Amino acid sequence: MRYSVYPGCSLEATALSYMKSLEPVAEALGMHLEEIPDWNCCGASVASGVVGDFAQQVMTARNLALAEEKGLDILVACSSCYMNMGLTNKRFKDDAHFAKLANEALAVGGLKYNGTLRVRQIVDALVNDIGLDKIKARVKRPLTGLKVAGYVGCQTVRALPWEYDDPERPVLLDQLVEALGATAVPFPMKARCCGSSHAIAQTEIVLDCSREILESARSNGASMMVTPCPMCQLNIDAYQGMINKTYNTNYAIPTLFITQLMAIAFDLPPEASALKYCIVSPYEALAPLGVGK
Amino acid sequence: MVDNKISSAPIKYDNTFAKEIYSLENGHYVKMCMQCGMCAVSCATRQIMDYSPRRLFNLIRAGKKEEFMRSNTMWMCTTCCMCKVRCPRGIPLVDVMHDLKALALKQGYVEYPQAAFYQAMWAEAFGRGRVFEGGIMARFYLKRGWNEIKKALGMKDLGMEMLKHGRMPIVPPRKIKGLKSLQQIIQRAQSLQEKEAK
Repeated sequence: MRYSVYPGCSLEATALSYMKSLEPVAEALGMHLEEIPDWNCCGASVASGVVGDFAQQVMTARNLALAEEKGLDILVACSSCYMNMGLTNKRFKDDAHFAKLANEALAVGGLKYNGTLRVRQIVDALVNDIGLDKIKARVKRPLTGLKVAGYVGCQTVRALPWEYDDPERPVLLDQLVEALGATAVPFPMKARCCGSSHAIAQTEIVLDCSREILESARSNGASMMVTPCPMCQLNIDAYQGMINKTYNTNYAIPTLFITQLMAIAFDLPPEASALKYCIVSPYEALAPLGVGK
Repeated sequence: MVDNKISSAPIKYDNTFAKEIYSLENGHYVKMCMQCGMCAVSCATRQIMDYSPRRLFNLIRAGKKEEFMRSNTMWMCTTCCMCKVRCPRGIPLVDVMHDLKALALKQGYVEYPQAAFYQAMWAEAFGRGRVFEGGIMARFYLKRGWNEIKKALGMKDLGMEMLKHGRMPIVPPRKIKGLKSLQQIIQRAQSLQEKEAK
């Protein structure tokens, strides 16, 4: 299956391990990814707070317009990118006045978007296009005994509620985890907010939000968290040390992208699981499976 | 002694501020709020907000512009979308918050660190077409000054971990090829939006 792929800025920087694992995992499942040429930042959850929704959605629409010629579904990894691309795409379909105005702005750059594409989150495409059976069949190293908390986060399921999963009690990520042979532990905080981009402006918000999520994972016996969101991964992984210092706790819960866990289960080469990018070491949790440095 | 005399003159509300808010892109949604408080109980950061979203909307109706503009509510929003999903009136609260932030920035209410962060990130996105974390941080600290830099120095362990694990590129990504065209598209969108608001 062919897809256009919109990586987004974080997959080139703080979430490099997401891209490095997504590509080989997709290839292993017969998904052919074609990057949108010269894509631009979608504005994250910030741009509309500076220039307003319309200007931000037009900015996002440039990517949709660039991708339209190929006619492929657009695969989006990052949660904020998914929110912006998905909402903008929906508005093009539902709101003719918006579409006309937006195209008036796009025309300045010689572009036009007709609203013919579908925007897909990675978890959606993996479960609903590829299917759990095919993923199960591709597993070469079943993750038996590994207790995983599937941390979905906010925007991937709430930006477009019911697009592919429940906005408050999502299930698909857990199903993916179980398809890999691991155990998805009950995880009541699976769709709560990690504090998002407050990390820079007011770090204590992230520490507070993320601590509750870590506690929920730990108390349910998880030895690892997986997520489809770059922001969640960054906050839970990179700020865990600060959380321990601030609250006098001793969490040591590695947090992987779902695609990294898939790379391990598919027994792909170590570059594909990209574990060296993890700040909280995953090797202890993975030792029983024979995964070493 | 308690003064029990109640004036018979009708209370006058000044709705100039409410009208200003209603004219924003998503401002009209504020009118739909029925004050049920679902947003407050759903919010990830309610405990550190001056006013819950419900109360903030009430300030708008009561015409209390100064209290509104100086409140931290819109800046504490993490865009987690829980309130937006749950609001029984279907108000897209996250989108309303976007407008409120943009209004605060426009009118110079920039005391919260989030305001500087938003401006820094936007400058990166607009100036490069893609966002570079190092650039956001540099711009943010320049805006916020020495106190914030001191705080950042307290986080140097985290920075070192990020560098050590290859998570923080030092070199910014290349500007996109169509940057000029992107900037013109955005500027055109902004002027179209201004016309729409009138």
